Amino acid sequence: MSDAVTLTLATQPTQTLVADCIAADRFAALGAQEIAALPVVHGGRPATLGAFFEVRGERASVVRITGDCRRVEAIGTGMAGGELVIDGSVGRDVGLAMSGGRIDVRGNAGANTGGAPAGAARGMTGGEIIVRGSVGDDAGARMRRGLLVVTGDGGQGTGKGMIAGTVVVFGKAGPGAGRFLKRGSIVALGEVERPATFGYACTYRPPHVALLLRYLRSRCRVEVAEGQISGRYERYSGDLAELGKGELLRWVGA
Amino acid sequence: MKINDVTIEDTFAEAFTMRVARLVITGRTLGWAREAAVKLTGFATSVIGCKCEAGVERELPDSETPDGRPGVSVLFLTMDKASLPEQLIVRVGQTVLTCPTTACFDGLPDAPDRLPVGKALRVFGDGFQASKVIGGKRYWRIPVMEGEFLIEETFGMLKGVAGGNFLILARDADAALAAAEAAVVAMTGAPGVILPFPGGVVRSGSKVGSKRYTNMIATTNDAFDPTLRAITPSQLPEGVNSVLEIVLDGIDGPSIEAAMRAGIRAACRPGVQTITAGNYGGKLGPHHFHLRKILG
Repeated sequence: MSDAVTLTLATQPTQTLVADCIAADRFAALGAQEIAALPVVHGGRPATLGAFFEVRGERASVVRITGDCRRVEAIGTGMAGGELVIDGSVGRDVGLAMSGGRIDVRGNAGANTGGAPAGAARGMTGGEIIVRGSVGDDAGARMRRGLLVVTGDGGQGTGKGMIAGTVVVFGKAGPGAGRFLKRGSIVALGEVERPATFGYACTYRPPHVALLLRYLRSRCRVEVAEGQISGRYERYSGDLAELGKGELLRWVGA
Repeated sequence: MKINDVTIEDTFAEAFTMRVARLVITGRTLGWAREAAVKLTGFATSVIGCKCEAGVERELPDSETPDGRPGVSVLFLTMDKASLPEQLIVRVGQTVLTCPTTACFDGLPDAPDRLPVGKALRVFGDGFQASKVIGGKRYWRIPVMEGEFLIEETFGMLKGVAGGNFLILARDADAALAAAEAAVVAMTGAPGVILPFPGGVVRSGSKVGSKRYTNMIATTNDAFDPTLRAITPSQLPEGVNSVLEIVLDGIDGPSIEAAMRAGIRAACRPGVQTITAGNYGGKLGPHHFHLRKILG
């Protein structure tokens, strides 16, 4: 048993590499050879994780991935616990339908981060994803529970169709953020385009946002300004074309 | 044993096991947090008549509260497991939920026994309430006219200790009061301890039951009433004309011992003749605080 399992990208994939076998809780029960033998799909063809990644450590629920993983997709799919740190940018579908644990991306993440598998009703149902960069389209889409934090910009349709949970975007939220929201919160600290089907409620200091941002600053080491913690937010309820119990909270200053 | 010419009697305070919860109430200012805490802990001096005992443990700076605002920590005790959530739900609902700017957090996060206080109060939101999980804890956001009231879903419950005490036997009422006030100042802010009575002081110590009224569960402690010295088997030494009692409840025995040590030392001042303690012969309460051992 090691403190952590480290995966170092040794062979750069020439095509898309779907590595949905990588999940911190799964690695807690596996030896290094078993991890290397896990199946991946490279360019539509079956392969093993060990053909691309050098594996160090075993039987640990803390996983660190290094290397340029922009062509690696679906890391952390269905993850239920543990901690997964990706040192750099990563492809689409990170934390797809995850239910627990934390994924920390030290770079940009592709589309559908924390989202739902194709055709599924629910995206992530728990846990935390922190992207210290920007995300692609549909991040947090159909989220049922959990937390997605984006320190950069969100793509198109961030938090689209959320059922519950929280998405925090520090940069520009992208067009269509929160569209078809049933419940859940989108906290926009930067620019956000409000869907027409959201109604303005009030401008106030939401106590849970202060608590959440303090948590992100102290536990997750995300840079948060004091004015964002104690500041005022415009609350828009929506999507009124859906259940309407969700909210878009737009920071308007200290 | 004597401290500053005050006799410390060779006796002990007898205390009981009760269930305890710690609440952290925060507000936009310390004043508002204190307002809520004072109302919450009102009429909670003794389980004999109030069904619970409660008090302010200490004031908390911004750096010690979950939401970074000034706060107050409160201890709340009841005799049994079932009545603690009942009391908390009613009292928090009427005093903290109603108080402007406040939020309410659990102060015993590691306690395995959980009380669903926020979970019960959420229904005040009439279906408009929403929950948020932050750092593994669930909070309820209850919409109110001011904005939102935030409360943790569950609160921890531990076995606590109630009924730690000492009695100040003084030459006159002024000396007894001055000594009691000094003791309270010395014990204020002691971690894990509250003084549930008004100003931390009791003038009407009681004995179990009654000599005359069968329906009374507690009546005046005539053995320590100076006005009854001539007509009851008094335990007051000659020269004592007034007695005040300090009652302490807490999270655990060591916390109460530490506070008693500070309080008794502060109470040993001119005009005070003896410090003693109340007990029932050691047969009722499992916690015994021997005065001389504590001060030794």
